[in-house]
Amino acid sequence: MSGARKRRSGGRANRVAARQSSVAVETATFIERKIPCFEILNQEALELIEYNADTLLEEVGIEFREAPAALELLNAAGAEIDGERVRFPRGLCRQLVMASAPSEYSQHARNPARTTIIGGDRTVLVPAYGSPFVRDLDGGRRYATIEDFRNFVKLTYMSPGLHHSGGTVCEPVDLPVNKRHFDMVYSHMKYSDKPFMGSVTHPDRAQDSVDMANILFGEGFLDQNTVMTSLINANSPMTFDATMLGAAKVYAENNQATVISPFILAGAMSPVTVAGTLTQILAEALAGMTYTQLVRPGAPVVFGTFASAISMQSGAPTFGTPEPSLVLYGAAALARRLKVPFRSGGGLCGSKTPDAQAAYESANTLQTAALAGVNFMLHTAGWLEGGLVMGYEKFIMDTDQANMIAVLLRGVDLSENGQAMDAIREVGPGAHFLGAAHTQANFEHAFYRSTVADNNSFEQWEEDGCQDTVARANTIWKEMLASYEAPPLDQAVDEALLAYMQQRKDSMPDQSY
Amino acid sequence: MTDETEEELDLNDLDDTELVEQMHDDLYDGLRDEVVEGTEILLARGWTADKVLNVALVGGMQIVGVDFRDGILFVPEVLLAASAMKGGMGILRPLLAETGAKPIGKMVIGTVKGDIHDIGKNLVGMMMEGAGFEVVDIGINNSVEEYLAALLEHEPDILGMSALLTTTMPYMKVVVDEMVNRNIRDQYIIMVGGAPLNEEFGTAVGADVYCRDAADAADQATRLMNEKHAANV
Ligand code: B1M
Repeated sequence: MSGARKRRSGGRANRVAARQSSVAVETATFIERKIPCFEILNQEALELIEYNADTLLEEVGIEFREAPAALELLNAAGAEIDGERVRFPRGLCRQLVMASAPSEYSQHARNPARTTIIGGDRTVLVPAYGSPFVRDLDGGRRYATIEDFRNFVKLTYMSPGLHHSGGTVCEPVDLPVNKRHFDMVYSHMKYSDKPFMGSVTHPDRAQDSVDMANILFGEGFLDQNTVMTSLINANSPMTFDATMLGAAKVYAENNQATVISPFILAGAMSPVTVAGTLTQILAEALAGMTYTQLVRPGAPVVFGTFASAISMQSGAPTFGTPEPSLVLYGAAALARRLKVPFRSGGGLCGSKTPDAQAAYESANTLQTAALAGVNFMLHTAGWLEGGLVMGYEKFIMDTDQANMIAVLLRGVDLSENGQAMDAIREVGPGAHFLGAAHTQANFEHAFYRSTVADNNSFEQWEEDGCQDTVARANTIWKEMLASYEAPPLDQAVDEALLAYMQQRKDSMPDQSY
Repeated sequence: MTDETEEELDLNDLDDTELVEQMHDDLYDGLRDEVVEGTEILLARGWTADKVLNVALVGGMQIVGVDFRDGILFVPEVLLAASAMKGGMGILRPLLAETGAKPIGKMVIGTVKGDIHDIGKNLVGMMMEGAGFEVVDIGINNSVEEYLAALLEHEPDILGMSALLTTTMPYMKVVVDEMVNRNIRDQYIIMVGGAPLNEEFGTAVGADVYCRDAADAADQATRLMNEKHAANV
């Protein structure tokens, strides 16, 4: 730069910089919903399902496996215990949950500007969870490593449409089973400043997550503030296992949020019908949420569900089909009636690659989840092959969808500018709007600009190398990782975290289970 | 078969060929009582247990297997067919043992410690029963000790292990290593499966075979048992 000539602000450089970044929407901590939730069941129908769920809880009951302390707690609250089977008098669970579970809660991030709120009219978008494999265009399908894990934390950090860093964004199979949670939790803390999830695969690992959060947020902060939202799956049908109950207890005791999720492959894990599945989901969620409220009244808890079906021809899970969408809409309404936050949805698909099947199926679940009023949308970005694979290109494609959800839920602008009467008067019949003052003032943010779609002429597309969506997404994630800069982390805190991890890792031998 | 005869069909009225065909249909339709009855009739007519097994039952289940693979039959239907097969096998098994005929085989199957995923394992059990195997399902969350106890108690030919978590699948190696330690590894065919596994992983834990799905498991088990029998001749 010469620095000699005085220049007006603007010109080419500024606009190029502003428009070429893949970041197309401003960073928000959640989406505030301005359109109604889509309802498919009337009050009578919802009451019927609630009645049936209570019948299930009273007659059949829920099994709490290998968890004697949980049984005692439930018994003291009025449930009837028969071996490991817990039967709840009609209405008990609803009453206990509604008495103390918050309808919304703040989940603090280490950067206060990223603290989010889960519940109410808000939607928080979260990357996919749990896959043992990753896939990208260059390397194909392979077991995930801690390097992949860090990459997805970084990509999520850089994706403005995702409000949350997630949890097991992929499983770092290269690390010992009993120690990998340290590196996962640390990666969320170090490489991102968005809120995150803790480990649930063993109560000790949940406690380690809490201990690390204590270091990050300062001793004493957690007791009154929630900094983690963690995933507790029901072992449907009608069972909770000791691992999940143990982890749920650790989090609830420490005032940390849990997502109690009946995770349903309908046909195998619930009846084949929508109403039957909803009944079971409600009963399981009520029982699990009740448990957290008994451990610590007021501990944040989310009514979760993962709705899919199985192929009756092979048993394989299927996604993006209409019946699970109906389940999702119904479950969201049931959660609203309980006045607790709701988790579901995501970019779910069964496809092996980010192809047309993946796109259709994912779009179906994302749209459904957005319209249904999901508050915590786990699995928003990256999901492939029924959750076995985290895809780099798929992640980029899904974040484009995530950005669009934000625009959709924002609803219709009815301000004077939104009404656009000036533009209509100015242009009048027969002309075009491109030059109108209103258009000049609004064009840049008027329409969502996709980060991966190509709408150019055939010839230009051909000149650009005939790239398809996946190829374009491949370029984007590489550019993002190349330009990643870590959010600053206090050095003393970082050192304390590393020292804690080292000490804990040294205290036990590597284990492969 | 015409509609009128359907109601009062008496299996005893059919000649051997017709009866076998009818049993194939009954297996296909999952009619357990009818398959049991057909088995008894053939035995009463002097068929050896071995012949009933191979011609009437295995033959029928092969058709079921093909149509399952091709997506014509659904899981709940195969479940019924496997149950009908199990009914017939219940009668034949003691007879086969008496005559010293090679039994199809016996498998102990369970999900490994720390893991509660069992839908896939249950499907494998179903297909194995459909292929004539005796299956002892020891459920989920099995420790080394539980696997070894089950091997001692049930004396199977095959040990099947299932795992769906990357955090639990390495436990398969713990089990295989312990079997090696105790010098019993070679007494069993070890089969493993579960969505996060692959061929390479199966080899790495020391299994004989990795199975990608339930039908594959039944095929591989049948093949390995045939090899075992051939080697023992
Ligand atoms: C001879 O031996 C043989 C031969 C062949 C064998 C064999 C043995 N076993 C299987 N086969 C083969 O034949 C079968 C039939 O064709 C096939 O079996 P499959 O089991 O592959 O296929 C079945 C027919 C259908 N498939 C399934 O049933 C599994 C589907 C997925 C979606 C799944 C389910 C359903 C569940 N889950 Co889980 N679950 C996932 C799975 C993702 C996926 N797409 O696989 C996976 C495996 N789970 C995962 C996770 C994270 C978890 N799950 C958990 C819980 C559950 C449910 C209880 C909700 C439920 C299981 C219910 C049940 N009764 O089994 C938790 C762990 C619980 C525990 N302690 O084990 C929890 C930790 C979640 C949580 N935070 O709570 C992920 C794995 C993570 C990892 N580290 O590897 C996961 C990939 C999904 C994800 N993305 O999160 C073949 O693999």
